[in-house]
Amino acid sequence: MTKQLTKWTFTALLLTLFCTLFPSLTHAANQEEFRIGMEAAYAPFNWTQQTDENGAVQIQGSKEYAGGYDVEIAKIIAKKLNKKLVIIKTEWDGLAPALTSGKIDAIIAGMSPTPERQKTIDFTDVYYKSHLVILTKKGGDYAEATSLADFKHAKITAQLNTFHYSVIDQIPEVAKETPMDNFSAMRVALESGVIDGYVTEKPEALTAEKANSHFKMVEFAKNKGFKTSPDDTAIAIGVKKGSPLRQEINQILGTISDDTQDQIMTTTIDRQPEENKKEIWVLKILKENGGMFLRGAGMTLLLSLVGTVVGTMIGMGIGVFRTLPTPTTAFKKALNKLLNGFFTVYIEIFRSTPMIVQAMVIYYGSAQAFGIDINRTVAALVIVSINTGAYMTEIVRGGIFAVEKGQFEAAEALGMTHRQTMTSVIIPQVVRNILPATGNEFVINIKDTSVLNVIAVSELFFQAKTVAGSNFRFFDTFFVVCVIYFVMTFTVTQLLRRLEKKMDGPDNYIPYGNQMQVQKPEASAKKEG
Amino acid sequence: MEKIIEIKNLRKCYGNNEVLTDIDMSVEKGEVVTIIGSSGSGKSTLLRCINLLETPTSGQILFKGDNVLDQHYDLPKYRTHLGMVFQQFNLFYNHDVLANCTVGQIKVLKRSPEEAEKVAKENLAKVGMEAFIHAKPKQLSGGQKQRVAIARALCMEPDCLLFDEPTSALDPEMVGEVLDIMKSLAESGLTMIVVTHEMDFARDVSDRVVFMDQGVIAEEGTPEHIFNHPTKERTKEFLKRVLA
Repeated sequence: MTKQLTKWTFTALLLTLFCTLFPSLTHAANQEEFRIGMEAAYAPFNWTQQTDENGAVQIQGSKEYAGGYDVEIAKIIAKKLNKKLVIIKTEWDGLAPALTSGKIDAIIAGMSPTPERQKTIDFTDVYYKSHLVILTKKGGDYAEATSLADFKHAKITAQLNTFHYSVIDQIPEVAKETPMDNFSAMRVALESGVIDGYVTEKPEALTAEKANSHFKMVEFAKNKGFKTSPDDTAIAIGVKKGSPLRQEINQILGTISDDTQDQIMTTTIDRQPEENKKEIWVLKILKENGGMFLRGAGMTLLLSLVGTVVGTMIGMGIGVFRTLPTPTTAFKKALNKLLNGFFTVYIEIFRSTPMIVQAMVIYYGSAQAFGIDINRTVAALVIVSINTGAYMTEIVRGGIFAVEKGQFEAAEALGMTHRQTMTSVIIPQVVRNILPATGNEFVINIKDTSVLNVIAVSELFFQAKTVAGSNFRFFDTFFVVCVIYFVMTFTVTQLLRRLEKKMDGPDNYIPYGNQMQVQKPEASAKKEG
Repeated sequence: MEKIIEIKNLRKCYGNNEVLTDIDMSVEKGEVVTIIGSSGSGKSTLLRCINLLETPTSGQILFKGDNVLDQHYDLPKYRTHLGMVFQQFNLFYNHDVLANCTVGQIKVLKRSPEEAEKVAKENLAKVGMEAFIHAKPKQLSGGQKQRVAIARALCMEPDCLLFDEPTSALDPEMVGEVLDIMKSLAESGLTMIVVTHEMDFARDVSDRVVFMDQGVIAEEGTPEHIFNHPTKERTKEFLKRVLA
C-alpha cells in the first residue's frame, strides 16, 4: 500500500511540476497600446540607444531605447491613432511570426512589401522609398566601381530572406556568397575581408559609412544599377491579414508627404549614435554598455541556474519514478507503462532536436497554434528547464546505477520501505554522484542560453548583438562579452569543485579523546580504508 | 525451546538452474547456527532467502509460526526482527557512523532522535566504536566498518542476526576483532545464523553446524559431530580440504 502511495505522490509531483512550468501567463491585447515590432538594429530605420535623447522610445521590458526613422513614423501613427506606442524588439525572422501570432500589432522595420511576404501578412502604403547600393571597403578593389559589371568576381552577399539577396544574380559573373542573418554580421564580414561587399539600401549604407570609416557606399547611375520592382525598394508597414489597422494607417501615411519623409530621414541619419575614437576601446564599450552587459549576464545566469535546478529536479523525479517496483494491479501497471512511454518520448525528442529550434516551436508555435502568448522570459526558463531535464534524466539514471546494490539491500534489510530507502540513503548518494555532471550542465547552459536570442530574451549574447549593431565595433564588443562568459563559467566551475570537496570531507578521521576511550588496537586498524 | 525460524521444503531457482533444493531447517531462540560449505553450495542464497532479499521459488518460511511468504505478510516489519550483516559491510556512505545506527531506528521503528542516539551509542560501545561516532564510512578500516555494521543491526533489537560471510572481505589481521565481537554476542544469548569460512568459529562458538553441498543440506549436527565424527563422505572431503 505504501509503495503504491509513493508512486502516486511522485506522479502527482511531476504533474504539478509540468503544470507550473507551463502557465499561460497570458496578457490580453491591450486596446490602448499600439505594439510595433522592429529589430532595433537596422540603422537608420531603427537602432538601440541608452537614453531617450532625440525622442527615442523605451523598448518594452528593457532599459534601452529605440530610435530611427521607423520610430519617428511610428510616433506619428500612434499619436494620430490616439494609442500608446510600445516598441517590441524582435529578430528579423521573428517579425512575421510575432505579427501573425498577435504578439505585435504592426511591423515597422524597414520591411519591403514583397509578394512573398504578402502571402502571410498585409502591407500598408509605402512610407519610404529608397534604392539599392553596394557597401564595400574604402580603398578596396571595388571602391571605385560605377556599374554592376565592375563587380565581376566580387564576393557579394545580402541579408537572408530579403530581395537584396535575389538581385545579386544581376551582377555578371559574381561570386554569390551565402546570405547572412543580419547587418551586423555582414559588416563584420566586410571589415574582415570575408566578403567584398553586400547589397543594401541607401540609408543603411549611409549609416554604415558614417559609423565606420573603412566602408564605402557604391551608388549606381540610373540604368547601371539593379533592376528592381517598386514593391521591393519601397518599404511599408506590415499588419495582420485583413486587419482594419491597414486602412487607418494608410490614412495617416497619406498626410506625410515625400518631402517630410526625406526630411525625417536626413535628420535621423544625423542623429545616429556615433563613434568616438579617442578613448580606450574596452573602457569605452564597458562605460557605454556596462549596464546592458550586466543585465544580460544576470539574465544568462538566471536562465542557466533555474534551468539547471529545475532540470535536475525533473531528472531526479523521472529517475526515481523509474526505480519504483512494478505495481500489482493492472490499472496501475498500465499507468506506469503510459508514464514511462511519455518520459521516453520527452527525453528522446528534447535530446534529438536543437534548443534553438525548440525555442522557436515553443515560443512562436504555442502562440500561433493555440493562441497562448507566453512571456518570453518564462518561455526561455521553460525551454532551458525541460531541455536540461531531458539530459539530467539520463545523468540521474547513471547516478542511481552507480550506487552499490548493497546500499539498497542494507536499507531493505533494516526494514525500510522503498520510499525511505530512496530518501534517506540512495538520493543523497545520487546527488553526490551526479554533481560533476550537473555542474557541467550548468556551464553548458550558461553558454547555450545564447541561442535564446532568437526569441529575443535579453540574455548576454542578445545584448552583445544589440550593442555591436549600434556601435559597429564587432570584435571589441564580442571580445568583451567573451571575457564575461569565461569569467562566469570559470567561477561556476571553481565553486562546484569546492562544493564537491566539502561534501566528500577528509579521508582520515581522528577520533576525539582517543586516549581514554579506545580499548581495541585501533592504531593498526586505522591504516586500512 | 521456542522456534524462531522454521524453513520447510524451500526451493530457489534462477531460470532452470536450481540452487537450493528442499531445504528443511529450523533455528531456536538463543541458538547459534553456522552454515559452512564450499563456494557455490548455496549458503549465502539460503541466508538471503531467510530475510527475503532473494524470493524463494517455493516452500515456506515460518517466523514465530507465521508464513512470511504469505502475500499479506508485513515484509518491512518482518525485516526489523532480523538483523543482517553483509560481507561488504554496506554502510550507508552518505551518513556518519552515528547516523548509520540511528536512521533505521528513526525511520522504521519511529524512535525519537534522542532515544535512537542513546541506543546507537550503547551498541557502538559494545563493538568498541564509540570514539568514531562522527566518522564517515570511507574514513574507517574494513574491520571498523564491519563492527559499525554489527552495531547498526543490533540497534534494531532483532530477534535473530544473520551474518553473510562477515569476515571474508577483511584483511587477515582484522578478522580477529570482528570474530571477538561475534563471540561475545553469542555468549550474551543472541540468536544468530552465520554463513562463514572460519572453521574455528564454527567449531568453538556455534551450537549447531549445517554443512551445505550443491544446494542441499548434506549434514547437520553439533560441532563435535560435524568436525570430529562426520558420517557423510562429502562432509569428510570438505573438512579435509579446508582444515588441511
